[in-house]
Amino acid sequence: MSEIFRVEGLHAGYGAGDILKGVDISVTAGSVVTIIGPNGSGKSTLVKTLAGLLRARQGDIRLKGASIRDFPPPKRVHAGISYVPQEYNVFRNLTVLENLKIAREFMSGGRAKGKVVSDELVELFPELPSRFNAFAGNLSGGQRQMLAFACALTVKPDLLMMDEPSAGLSPKYMTDIFDCIRKVNGTGVSVLMVEQNAIEALRISDQCVVMATGRVRLCSDAATVLGMSDLQTLYLGDAAASRESWAQASAA
Amino acid sequence: MLQTAFNGLVTGIIIALPALAVTLLFGVLKFANFAIGAMMTVAAYMVYALNTELGWPMLPATVAAAVVFGVLCILMDLVTFRPLRDRGGLTLMVASLGLGFVLENLARLAYGNSARSFAMELARPFRYMDIRMNREQMIAFVVATLAMGIMYILLTRMPIGRAMRAVADNPSLAQVRGIDSAAIIRWTWFIAGMLLAVGGVLIGMDRAIEPPMGSSYLIPVFSAAILGGLGSPLGAFVGALLIGIVSEMATLVIPPNYRIGIPLCVIAAILIFRPQGLFGQAHIRR
Repeated sequence: MSEIFRVEGLHAGYGAGDILKGVDISVTAGSVVTIIGPNGSGKSTLVKTLAGLLRARQGDIRLKGASIRDFPPPKRVHAGISYVPQEYNVFRNLTVLENLKIAREFMSGGRAKGKVVSDELVELFPELPSRFNAFAGNLSGGQRQMLAFACALTVKPDLLMMDEPSAGLSPKYMTDIFDCIRKVNGTGVSVLMVEQNAIEALRISDQCVVMATGRVRLCSDAATVLGMSDLQTLYLGDAAASRESWAQASAA
Repeated sequence: MLQTAFNGLVTGIIIALPALAVTLLFGVLKFANFAIGAMMTVAAYMVYALNTELGWPMLPATVAAAVVFGVLCILMDLVTFRPLRDRGGLTLMVASLGLGFVLENLARLAYGNSARSFAMELARPFRYMDIRMNREQMIAFVVATLAMGIMYILLTRMPIGRAMRAVADNPSLAQVRGIDSAAIIRWTWFIAGMLLAVGGVLIGMDRAIEPPMGSSYLIPVFSAAILGGLGSPLGAFVGALLIGIVSEMATLVIPPNYRIGIPLCVIAAILIFRPQGLFGQAHIRR
């Protein structure tokens, strides 16, 4: 499979210091890549930098072979990257339908044609049509996440980036959201997500990237990482305890 | 009493336009623009120049001045506010005070301190149900209602209006939804400039054209925007009508000179009991 997205030696951060200290990631077309790691490892900073909300200080970001490092966020969206932030991911003072209209009108760069909400989108998110006129701020956490997800898919992106899609969701919505990710990926959309719920995320992933202290510590098949006996330790970022697992994964 | 209520309604609808401009600018740019008074003054003088010096009828003079003033507002933003955008709302507010002084005194320098009026024919007042309505009031009522209707359609039915509301709601999310914030800011200034220009003309017709004409409306305009909830266009409209009617009705029980105290009391009451205003949303600062 060909590579669709590549991050090379990425440095970024807030203030004087770097939080990301040379991150390298590659996403194969049509695959699901999950980034896990302890709190403060730089996962959210990474996706914000990839979405263009934070400036990359060093390194390169390439989508379909072309550098998008200096693109502002809207231009990255038009290039084919959809991003779903962890929180505040819908316009709360706008209705559900207005949120979807905005996504369709602006994420396509004015090229969108046809229905505001496609049949495929209604099939993926059957709850949404009945809430079209509700203000997004009045939706439950799960419904808001579904709306944010739907907005990101109003145009078919090349790469869907998600920051903790299951954070704060009930078990029902968590199952639904991972089902949706699998279905969307089935249509050929590559997915790059940061997720705390490592086990559930890795079950639908092809690749896993483990981050700690702003660096990639491990990049391996999701199934291999899922099979590690001390995944929890690895996920919590205890480097000493994880050394053996990394060695196993590297060998695999 | 009916007459007083009608006068209040007209005053309210006149201040609705600048109140909407204040709330749009606050929503998108997150600062209170105290230059709006002087901006209305300058726009009114532009229409005065076209109307009395070049002999243009009021309607084309107002339309032309509104478009030109919208563009001027984009330029004022470029020179005054954009370089300070990252410094926070307080810095921008202070800059707006400075800009207001400059604009008002430019008007004073060009036309002096004396009061002037547009070249309009005198017309007999119209009477309906014991309410006396003069032509200026009728024009103000129709023009402001039309402008508010257009703004409603723009903000709710058109992509650019939805994008303005989206940027006001969540600027960083707007960027990752493909919205060019810089373009939306320019559009916001242009639309706010047009609203201020029309508001300035209506005030000039209602009172007189003089350098402090706009700044004398600052308190009612800000009261209306705060009462409705800063950032809420519907709130600005309802707030303006309430401020206009309550201020006028208050003159039935207090001397008219104290009328200006009513909006100040409204601001105080709102800040104590409902800081987010009637239609605004409460924000938690972490």
